[in-house]
Amino acid sequence: MKFKTFAAFVGPSLVMMLLFIAFPLVSVFMQSFYVTQPIFEQVEVESCTPGFPNPICVTEIKSQPVLGADGKITTETRFSGLESYRNVLELGRVKAAISNGSWTQLMNVDFWKALRFTLSFTLLTLPLVLIVGLSIALAVNNAVRSLRGPVIFISLLPFIITPVIGGLSIRWLFIGDGILTAAMEWMSGANISMFAQAWTIELMMMFYRVWHVAPFAFVIFYAGLQTVNQDTLESAIIDGASRWERLRFVIVPHLMPLIVFIALIHLMDSYRVFDEIVAFSSQSHVISLQWLTYDFLTPDDAGNRAISRASATAMLTMVGIVLLLIYPLKRTWRDHKGSH
Amino acid sequence: MSTPKALRQSAALRFGSAGFLIFWCLIAAFPIFWILVMSFKNPVDAFASNPLDVIFGPATLAEGDGLSIMDVVLGLGVLWLSFRFAFRHLPEMVEKFTKPGTVIMGWVIAVLGFALVFIVVFFGILPWVLTGLNAMSGPLGDPIIGLTPKNYVSVWVDNEFYRNFINSLIVTGGVVTVSLTVGTLAGYGLARSGSNLAFWLLILALIFRALPHSVLVAGYLPVFINSAEILRPILGDAAPTLYGKPYAVIAVLVAINQPFTIWMLRSFFQNIPMELDEAARVDGCSHFQAFRRVIMPVMWPGVITTGLFSFLLGYNDFLVTSLLLDAQNQTMVPAIAGYFNRETTTTDQVEAIAAAVSITAPLFLLVMVFQRQIVSGLTAGAVKG
Amino acid sequence: MNLRTLILAGALSVSGTVSYANCAYKNDTPVSMLAAGFEAWKAVANAMAECGNFTAELDQEFRKKQPAAFAATPSLYQIGGVSNGTITPLLNEGTIRPLDDLVEKYGQHLSPNQLIRIDGKIMAIAMMVNTQNLQYRRDVLEDLDIPVPQTWEEVLAAAAKIREAGVVDYPLGATMKSGWNLALEFINLFYGYGGVFVDDNNMPTVNTDAGIKALETMKATTEFLDPEYLVSDSTYVQQQFQQGKIAMANLWASRAGASDDEAESQVVGLVNSTAAPRVLDGGAPATTIWWDGAVIARNITDEQAEAAFRLIVEGMDTGMVEANNDAAIWLIPGYVPNRLAQGAIETLQAQPPAVSYPSTSAMGLMHTATGNNVSRFLTGSADAETTLKAIESDYLISAKEAGLIPN
Repeated sequence: MKFKTFAAFVGPSLVMMLLFIAFPLVSVFMQSFYVTQPIFEQVEVESCTPGFPNPICVTEIKSQPVLGADGKITTETRFSGLESYRNVLELGRVKAAISNGSWTQLMNVDFWKALRFTLSFTLLTLPLVLIVGLSIALAVNNAVRSLRGPVIFISLLPFIITPVIGGLSIRWLFIGDGILTAAMEWMSGANISMFAQAWTIELMMMFYRVWHVAPFAFVIFYAGLQTVNQDTLESAIIDGASRWERLRFVIVPHLMPLIVFIALIHLMDSYRVFDEIVAFSSQSHVISLQWLTYDFLTPDDAGNRAISRASATAMLTMVGIVLLLIYPLKRTWRDHKGSH
Repeated sequence: MSTPKALRQSAALRFGSAGFLIFWCLIAAFPIFWILVMSFKNPVDAFASNPLDVIFGPATLAEGDGLSIMDVVLGLGVLWLSFRFAFRHLPEMVEKFTKPGTVIMGWVIAVLGFALVFIVVFFGILPWVLTGLNAMSGPLGDPIIGLTPKNYVSVWVDNEFYRNFINSLIVTGGVVTVSLTVGTLAGYGLARSGSNLAFWLLILALIFRALPHSVLVAGYLPVFINSAEILRPILGDAAPTLYGKPYAVIAVLVAINQPFTIWMLRSFFQNIPMELDEAARVDGCSHFQAFRRVIMPVMWPGVITTGLFSFLLGYNDFLVTSLLLDAQNQTMVPAIAGYFNRETTTTDQVEAIAAAVSITAPLFLLVMVFQRQIVSGLTAGAVKG
Repeated sequence: MNLRTLILAGALSVSGTVSYANCAYKNDTPVSMLAAGFEAWKAVANAMAECGNFTAELDQEFRKKQPAAFAATPSLYQIGGVSNGTITPLLNEGTIRPLDDLVEKYGQHLSPNQLIRIDGKIMAIAMMVNTQNLQYRRDVLEDLDIPVPQTWEEVLAAAAKIREAGVVDYPLGATMKSGWNLALEFINLFYGYGGVFVDDNNMPTVNTDAGIKALETMKATTEFLDPEYLVSDSTYVQQQFQQGKIAMANLWASRAGASDDEAESQVVGLVNSTAAPRVLDGGAPATTIWWDGAVIARNITDEQAEAAFRLIVEGMDTGMVEANNDAAIWLIPGYVPNRLAQGAIETLQAQPPAVSYPSTSAMGLMHTATGNNVSRFLTGSADAETTLKAIESDYLISAKEAGLIPN
């Protein structure tokens, strides 16, 4: 294909991605090295608020931004180098924590706390998603043909349901005396509070993620199972391979590209874990990297946003994802070289 | 058809496999089933700590809203029949009545028709028939399960949820159409070009996909709100304010979804033999004509599968739509957040559940109908890696 | 499930919206408003809509949208709904206009309490106030012969007795959901102990005796709370009240009415309210006072501003209050406090008065820093002093980034 034709085909897609993803990405990258702040002045202000019986007026010294001639806030932007990264990483506190040998102290630094959770969440759910997805696929493939339709339908539900709603529906099962908590209390006889400590919350979040993503792995694997070469399978049977050996040496290698594909998607998505934090309001116990970015970007009542630190966290998150993706990407590169 | 002996399974394996499947189906369906049950109760029942209270709804029953055994039996019967119809006969009918090129249109009409008939029968004719039957059938006609449609009434009528529904249709429809148009072109280009440039574009797309969305979205807001001012030098007074406009949100969602779409479509195209294009080219077609006349007609399974993923993304999105749309154009998912505000009451929560179920219902229908296409599409294409 | 009920309900709901008192005039200039989406704003927006040409956007994301939308030229909205917290960015950026001229022309009858003056100029028209107050199960306290607690010490003593009697699941409820809510609990107690968050140079002064005491009081209350307190927002606490699971909570006044809502509550008529507890003898109630009100954008024409102001006056009139009396603690003439508003009124009239939540940039940063750190103390991963130090150092980092204090 000539370059011009190629460009014509890929152009529209590329332009959209450049405009809506690359451009913001570059600006985020730049913002992580700069700080833009308004110039404040101290003024004495008398303000009155409702009081009973009479309004209460107080005079106080307040800092407020200086407005320029155009009626907008005068800001200055300065190059801050790696300062925002330093503010996010808080290496000083990390060093102190390490020299004290205190894990709790280290986990009191937001970024490291978030990184710890994000990594363990990603790496623990990955095998679970693959195994559960493959098991369902094998079981469905094993089921009577007439039952497959309804089973596939039910299995896909957790995947298609709106994440916000899925998260809430699981939350309601567990929060307070939610029925699953009540059931567990009835079985164990103890008073269980699923939202009171970090590990149960983490468990619920992982449960939700596997519940939500395993169906996706399942359909892909199930589709893959339909294309397993029957001849290879039969010759394996003739060679006397056990069921397990057939799975291990025929089916899994056949599904390998799919396993890599799902792993790739899952690594990317779960490294950006965010919905779960909000749905299970776990901020006190566990936070994730994307939640940290979001928190920096959410304005407080006074409208302050920590844009530079948010950009720095976002860039660090990106670096993390790229590191995680190196292995699957290498494979893709080999395939690319191999196929052409 | 007899199975070779070696493929026959031991009873333990069969039971194990079936048991696992039943267990999984329970886990998969239970949370959704549960919000469905809650959505039909009054607030006291919905959040009762005794599960039996949630199911039987004594407080809802006490208010005079309930179903009799007769209602339950007939209702389940109708549901079962419509499920069977959707799974068995609908696909056959579509195949029978549509020409190969118009399958999509056929499906759209079939689904809409099915939904319409279902709504009329289930919510119109059935209650009417049941009122009569309940009066005649004595104890079988006495209400036993508390069930009330009032949450749905407040959501759809009082809160005008149908507006959000229409907005969701617009946004989702836009996302699917644009995403597939742009995506098939790019996917084809990438699949047919063996150059390193193509490879690096794919990797770039992958990295784009990895970017945390909250960063992107927060960056759009000020630009979208001030777009009239920013674009005025270029477009003059016609410069639009992008904030609140569905087309701007569609563009954003399409862009965010492009990496996944082109990766997926590319692998579908890779499975279509090159010889097909070459034959068309020999017959004097340009690349684009070959793409449109020869390749696209055999690409439908891939396009439908990818389209479904785009649909899910557009339909389920919260982050982008909640921030970039104004009240008039609000879609359904962010509208739910409106129930969870500073002054949320238990009633609001139950209504939010009813809204959540309303959002999920079209997804049900969609998967019910397209399920075969998803599996066959994946089997035909992306799956080969 | 019945089509007829559906249609009937639809017809009822339509007639329901029409039955409001009608607008005194017809509005010809298109006006739109961006505000938060709670009950009181819905009531005011409905009343404004009767005058015609008015669209209201009651949006949960208003905090993110409002500053940008009001800074656009022309402003995307004419009216904004704010509270004493969220007015700050608009004030700082100068995107709202003083209302003195308009008040003189159309708002002579507004109560002085409604006029929010900043630097001598009227910048907002308030409609309601909100504050925390102590809501309690009258029957539980009477049965156990416990006097209504007035201080946190008494609250804790009462909680211990209630727990001993075992009449409810948990004696206390608290809106300690991590983040904003949790921070506010700390802020309330800190002010109660006479603390000051920042000095005149915006340097933090949290790591003080008052800070330690506030944290310790919080910790003391957690002993009586549902162990899931770090996820309980006010909706959850309200639900616990309604289901009879808790006996006392220092909760938003606007929430009180729900315990008498027969459709939701199992404790109708059993909940009373009193002033927010104090922590120091003769001190102010340990709470903050909030108001909600409307502002008008600067970047619009005078004609639009005038139309917008007339709508505000019309929307916040006595007729609206009479129709929605229990939706809020209204500042508008015509409001009749009901039984459950008693606690709020007592809190507001307390002497010395409780602090009004300060609308400053520094407070915004302090609120976030507090919200992110207090939970560590409560979960036991840091002691009180470390927590306060962490709040200060978090605050310093953000204040430097925001330019509030020199680098």
